[in-house]
Amino acid sequence: MRPAPALVRMSRLPTVGHHLLIVPLLAVLSVFFVVPYANMVAISLMEASHRAAYVPVFTISNYTSLIESRFTWGVIWHTLWLGVLTTAICLVVSYPIAWQMARANSRTRAALMTLVIAPLLVGVLIRTYGWMILLQDSGIINQLLRAMGFAPLHLMYNDTGVVIGLTHVFIPFMVLPIASTIQSIDPELELAARNLGAGPWRSFRRVVLPLSLPGVMAGTVLVFVLAVSSYVIPQLLGGFTVLTVPVLVIHTISELFNWPGGSAFAVLFFVITALVIWFYLRTIGRVTHAG
Amino acid sequence: MQARRLQRIGFNVVTVAIYAFLLAPLVIVVLSALNAGTYLRFPPQGLSVRWFVDFAHSRSFMGSLGFSLRLAAIVTVVATILGTMASLWLTRVSGRFRSALQVLIIAPLAVPGVLTGIALLLFFYTLGWQQTGLADLIIGHTLICVPYVVLIVGAVLARQDKTLVEAARNLGAGPLRTFWRVTLPLSKGGIICGAVFAFVTSYDDFNISLLLSGVGATPLPIQLFDYLRFSFDPTPAVAGTISIAITALVVLLVQRLIGLDALYFGQK
Repeated sequence: MRPAPALVRMSRLPTVGHHLLIVPLLAVLSVFFVVPYANMVAISLMEASHRAAYVPVFTISNYTSLIESRFTWGVIWHTLWLGVLTTAICLVVSYPIAWQMARANSRTRAALMTLVIAPLLVGVLIRTYGWMILLQDSGIINQLLRAMGFAPLHLMYNDTGVVIGLTHVFIPFMVLPIASTIQSIDPELELAARNLGAGPWRSFRRVVLPLSLPGVMAGTVLVFVLAVSSYVIPQLLGGFTVLTVPVLVIHTISELFNWPGGSAFAVLFFVITALVIWFYLRTIGRVTHAG
Repeated sequence: MQARRLQRIGFNVVTVAIYAFLLAPLVIVVLSALNAGTYLRFPPQGLSVRWFVDFAHSRSFMGSLGFSLRLAAIVTVVATILGTMASLWLTRVSGRFRSALQVLIIAPLAVPGVLTGIALLLFFYTLGWQQTGLADLIIGHTLICVPYVVLIVGAVLARQDKTLVEAARNLGAGPLRTFWRVTLPLSKGGIICGAVFAFVTSYDDFNISLLLSGVGATPLPIQLFDYLRFSFDPTPAVAGTISIAITALVVLLVQRLIGLDALYFGQK
């Protein structure tokens, strides 16, 4: 009689064969993601040239000339400012619908979720085009304003248009993390606060808001990063009047063909964005620990 | 009591307004494509399919549409296979290497797409590829489509009853046979959803494609962008309407298969 084979348990260590599953993706990500980024950093440290894309000679001049330029800093400040504005408006607009979604029954939640995610699946270009039709000087909003006897507003080819477009496109990224943290807060806690005499606003401010802070942090960081790195929206809704870092980087690379300069600008801005986020998270951490 | 009711009504009015804001540009695009006039006006000048006809007759738009569909189809196959394999791997391992890889897999979604496009363009040039085109776009799109497949298939696999796989193995099935007969049929819904998300992500992508598109290899969003910079008539609205119709189909399909909220809130 053959001995019975040992029973398989899933907790046992994965076999060598199992590890083969990750090899193809790991190879693709290393070769086509990690290496290209490293290569870009390397090119940002090489000399620019009019004859070739770059000359393989080490230099930090691409960075120093950026840092010395007041124009560069102006564009960086403006980009960060648009990012902060967009993030703040997104937060105010998203919180109510996130709360409503988290506290709805599962049927309603699925429907609301669909309404939030569906715009996300339609490409950013199409949504921006929709805003162009709405916001133009002769667009739908101004037609309605005129029909009601108001003076038309200048809504496009300026910061207003860019912030409206950015806010619209990134709302889902704020709603989803906030909704999932609110959902994990026990509704009984709110009820307890109410029973102890707190009004709805107070129970919200002292119970729900602090507990949903992780979702708020995730959402704000995500929206800020997406907003400052957006290219289509400032380009189409801002026209030539709104200059942001991504617009300038793409211009430097694909029209001026200054690859080292463009790469250096991209790397510099990446570092600045990371510092801003680090500072933001640290400040929030301090404030909540102190409170 | 009266005040509470008023508060509740006020809150609902606010949320309805926010949803209206979210959907407004999409509704406007569809209306604009179906409107008879060159500019959308109130009152509308009547229904017409003339912009659809214009679109169908435009060689550049139809060429880009075909190219985008072909590109999205290839990327979907590649990303779904790579992503599903990775999710299967992730369910069975633990430790620091697993978390590091999870971060690496999601990373292409966390860094700006335009930046990834630049990095790839410079990299391909360094390799000596002189012209950008289909191959470059497939690689770039795969990077941003795989994370969706991994997230969705991973969520479905995590909900699966592991004892079924154990039972199959104990009854004598090898790992491959167990995969074909047990794991695959059970996670079919998740894999299809992942593939659908990958398709839509590729079809609608703008940021990665911006620098990687080439002569005769222009995805539709890039074609539309070039068009919108210089002209303004409702032809792009037709492309938008097609995109919105695809999205509506996708949402229905995903809702049927696994439920959209399951993706974000874990279990149903």
